[in-house]
Amino acid sequence: MSRFFATGSDSESEESSSADEITPKATGTTFSKHIVCCPLRFRFEELTNIIKTIRNAMKIRDMSKCLEEFEQLYRAFLKSKTIVDKEGVPQFYIRLLADLEDYLNQLWEDKEGKKKMNKNNAKALSTLRQKIRKYNKDFETEIVSYKEVLNCSPNDEESESEEDEESEDWGSDSVDSGGESEDNEGAAASLAVVFLKKYVCFNLELLSLFLFDGFKRKRHKKMEQVDEEADEEGEGEEGGWEKVKGGVPLVKEKPKMFAKGTEINNAVVIKKLNEILQARGKKGTDRSAQIELFHALAGISNENNLGEGILVKIKFNIIASLYDYNTNLAAFMKAEMWKKCLECIDELLDILFENSNIFIGENIAEDSENLAISDQPFRVRGCILTLVERMDEEFTKIMQNTDPHSQEYVDNLKDEGRVCGIIDRLLQYLESKGSTEEVCRVYLRRIMHTYYKFDYKAHRRSLGLQGETKSEQDQEESEGEDSAIIMDRLCKFIYAKDRTDRIRTCAILCHIYHHALHSRWYQARDLMLMSHLQDNIQHADPPVQILYNRTMVQLGICAFRQGMIKDAHNALLDIQSSGRAKELLGQGLLMRNMQERNAEQEKIEKRRQVPFHMHINLELLECVYLVSAMLLEIPYMAAHEFDARRRMISKQFHHQLRVGERQPLLGPPESMREHVVAASKAMKMGDWRTCHSFIINEKMNSKVWDLFPETQRVREMLVRKIQEESLRTYLFTYSSVYDSISMATLSEMFELELPTVHSIISKMIINEELMASLDQPTQTVVMHRTEPTSLQNMTLQLAEKLGGLVENNERVFDLKQGVYGGYFNRDQKGGYQQRQNYQRGGYRNQNQSSY
Amino acid sequence: MGSLKESAVSGSNPLDSPVKQIQIDGLVVLKIIKHYQEEGQGSEVVQGVLLGLVVEDRLEITNCFPFPQHTEDDVDFDEVQYQMEMMRSLRHVNIDHLHVGWYQSTYYGSFVSRALLDSQFSYQHAIEESVVLIYDPIKTAQGSLCLKAYRLTPKLMEICKEKDFSPEALKKACIGYEHMLEEVPIVIKNSHLINVLLLDLQEKSTVADKHELLNLSSSNHLEKSLQLLMDRVDGMSQEIVKYNTYCRNLTKQQQQKQQYLQRRQQENTQRQSRGEPPLPEEDINKMFKPPQAPPRMDTLLIAGQVNNYCQNIKAFTSQNLGKLFMAEALQGHSS
Repeated sequence: MSRFFATGSDSESEESSSADEITPKATGTTFSKHIVCCPLRFRFEELTNIIKTIRNAMKIRDMSKCLEEFEQLYRAFLKSKTIVDKEGVPQFYIRLLADLEDYLNQLWEDKEGKKKMNKNNAKALSTLRQKIRKYNKDFETEIVSYKEVLNCSPNDEESESEEDEESEDWGSDSVDSGGESEDNEGAAASLAVVFLKKYVCFNLELLSLFLFDGFKRKRHKKMEQVDEEADEEGEGEEGGWEKVKGGVPLVKEKPKMFAKGTEINNAVVIKKLNEILQARGKKGTDRSAQIELFHALAGISNENNLGEGILVKIKFNIIASLYDYNTNLAAFMKAEMWKKCLECIDELLDILFENSNIFIGENIAEDSENLAISDQPFRVRGCILTLVERMDEEFTKIMQNTDPHSQEYVDNLKDEGRVCGIIDRLLQYLESKGSTEEVCRVYLRRIMHTYYKFDYKAHRRSLGLQGETKSEQDQEESEGEDSAIIMDRLCKFIYAKDRTDRIRTCAILCHIYHHALHSRWYQARDLMLMSHLQDNIQHADPPVQILYNRTMVQLGICAFRQGMIKDAHNALLDIQSSGRAKELLGQGLLMRNMQERNAEQEKIEKRRQVPFHMHINLELLECVYLVSAMLLEIPYMAAHEFDARRRMISKQFHHQLRVGERQPLLGPPESMREHVVAASKAMKMGDWRTCHSFIINEKMNSKVWDLFPETQRVREMLVRKIQEESLRTYLFTYSSVYDSISMATLSEMFELELPTVHSIISKMIINEELMASLDQPTQTVVMHRTEPTSLQNMTLQLAEKLGGLVENNERVFDLKQGVYGGYFNRDQKGGYQQRQNYQRGGYRNQNQSSY
Repeated sequence: MGSLKESAVSGSNPLDSPVKQIQIDGLVVLKIIKHYQEEGQGSEVVQGVLLGLVVEDRLEITNCFPFPQHTEDDVDFDEVQYQMEMMRSLRHVNIDHLHVGWYQSTYYGSFVSRALLDSQFSYQHAIEESVVLIYDPIKTAQGSLCLKAYRLTPKLMEICKEKDFSPEALKKACIGYEHMLEEVPIVIKNSHLINVLLLDLQEKSTVADKHELLNLSSSNHLEKSLQLLMDRVDGMSQEIVKYNTYCRNLTKQQQQKQQYLQRRQQENTQRQSRGEPPLPEEDINKMFKPPQAPPRMDTLLIAGQVNNYCQNIKAFTSQNLGKLFMAEALQGHSS
């Protein structure tokens, strides 16, 4: 079949190739024969194939098959629309349409035959008939002319007669007759016979060429077809192509790119470049080939010393086409491709650094470019910053799409250094040449690559450990600036110069994050408060919000390390209370039902994920939160045991406690949560030793505490906090048992110094949490029995509730009477609320003063 | 202890009910107590079937058997089947096998609930004389046997039959929480032989067993009662709020309806003056669907329960006050 085609359309394709001087395809031809596949031939072959099956189906009266194929044909024809527009409707197509209509009409008339048909066929027949009628209207003139021709030749063997009459038409005729003959004999051998019969008149050379060509094309066509279908993922296929190309020596090709003897100068190269560029983005353009072409062009220009201007221009295009390689924005670049891109950018930067007389910019118009070597500086259109940004984004995408627990991830991550290097170089470049906006952008890139990294060097230095470190590291230390200083410099520049809000917001957040990461709590907090980001962050776009969440979490963890339990709790509350910490931090998607988001949304969300190496440990986060909640909540619970209006400080913590209570069998704690719950229980009893052993032990160390940079300090702080809070809890819970208690005993029990105990108790007394007084000479706490007993408490509550009930009842009554708020007027309600406020205020005071 | 007689006079008039007195065999009492001791723990409730016969206006309960405790796991357990089997077996050993009601243990007097109402209704619907015996193990443990028999009042029976718990229906039925349950006096009767035996035992037993009665530490019991009472008061408040919103919605809608009607009337008069046919008025009910009235039965039950708690607490405190005075007197005497 392909042979028919080969014959049928070859004449036309030859025409076309001669007509178009140098289409992109044609250049491709010169480059490597293998990619050559004239679209015309390909499309027509597809059509003829379908036509053949239709004819077969017509023969066996399989109408449903016919219908199916016809629809396919229709689609295929639409696809080849561009070619058809150029070439005119192919004769064989018209022929089929005409034949098919006649055939259908004939079948339609044949009532007997129709009755015999099975249901499916009959149905298909009617639909097909309608369709073809409609469809043929578009080709009315062609069909009519075709029929005329048919009538002119009374000969039954139409194909031959036509061949004689219209030399132009022979191709399509041969298709027809070939199809027929194949149907009759249905063997490959017959094809050859037909072939010979048809082309014996042509000279042998041509024939052999066709044969060879057709054969080859046949093979390639199949592959191309696959390619076409899997347009986007067809990289494997194309990779295969590349290999073949590699086999073709480069030297041979070069003359092909430019006609032999052409003097290679700037203009020619630029023209060529534009030619290649024109193919860009078009369907069916082989993208990998294009990249190769650019490379070759770069080589040529280099060889001929056309100057850096043109080289820069070509490099820009190479990188752009590398990015183009993936049409889908969601898909990520292959690591190899990306590395190539990295190299290119590196080279580009080399050139730019070496030649300070090159001006690049987005706003340089194409026609004002100056690429030729002259006294004037080069002017090249293009934006290196955008390219680097895109490269960085691709890097993030690659990291997102790599399994974080594989070696591959580690390998990819190693390239991060190179990315940073490039950004650094670009930074240097732009600092001298770029506008402030560009500088801001590149600064932000730099910040984004710095903020989440813990600066071990600076940390070690601050601890004064240089003496121990090896000489190598010493060198390293001396050469590198502290990341804190860098961050400070970059961020301050952005604060001062940036005009887009987003960059500044990101910079502030990163700055805070960096401060928090390095335990500079007060700077971080002040920056956060000064920026007023908390008020309007909900208007930001999701990536910025994710960054904000990350910053808040880091801030909370920082506060915890510094022993500001209350602040830590407040900072983490928002993230933890939702139970969606994972999602809010952009560290993974939550399993949710599909109604809430469709595939499209999921893709978007996936794109927002933070790469694994930047993740904040969720268990650490939860542990920090729960432990701070425990330190706050347990004394509070003990203090307000009988208070009906007691509020929970942390819902999550209570939830964990309840889960712990519900356990039918309580074994030794395993998970982090169980440890915290067990510790909370111990703390409730004022047993700080058990609590301590639950919070700080081997398991918890390995799971949580060792993740902090200053583990030992954090642990000491924790022990201290546990002791203090346990003391408070103990006093709340058991004060009713004591008449008086010696502070010395307490300090012994909780292993706290006497002054600390003294201060804690004093605070409690001042805040009216503890009804007691201190007896200075004997160093004892004397308890006062002023608080109501539990029964009295209960009765008070009951009275309050009854009051509420009466009030509600009154309302019902009022409604009946038609008077609102007659009995309980506003004054009383106000008084009630005031009392509430007072109590809450009391709590707040207590907390403020105790930390 | 010989023939403990507990006859509380209930507020309602039991004249119109077919049962005026209940006579319980000592065996039944002991069986119920035993059942609770064995199976009921804490707030767990045990239930069982009462067997006996009706003699004139007196219901004699002569035997009982417990419902087995079963968890939700064994779904295939058939309670009815079990009861039938049990009664058949009892019949074989010549024991009264007439179903005359059921018993239930209670926790600090909390038994007035929807479940009790429903099951007692179905009992009374099927067997007119049936009663529910409420056994309070906690009070009993303190030394005074607490066993009470209740029946639904005929009024409540009617309401339950119609299953209409809307405010209007309850209002029409003139039913308050006091008129929901009627208490039937109980007489515990033993055979003469048993009485003889008990008298015999009484002589032999030591006195020390009785000091429970004088226990003064009452706060625990009171606290529990108060907690339960508070819980119910909360429930009551919620119900009232619900009812309140309903009322408000109703009046609001009524106003809207009124306005709409007025407007329609005006329009109609205008149309009439112009000689056009008046607009129809029947779509008014479609436009203003009355809001769903909250069922008031729960409120009623809660009120009954609250009343019950209050009675309990009152009885308990008055008892305790008596004890306290006694203790004071004793102290004064000894010192």
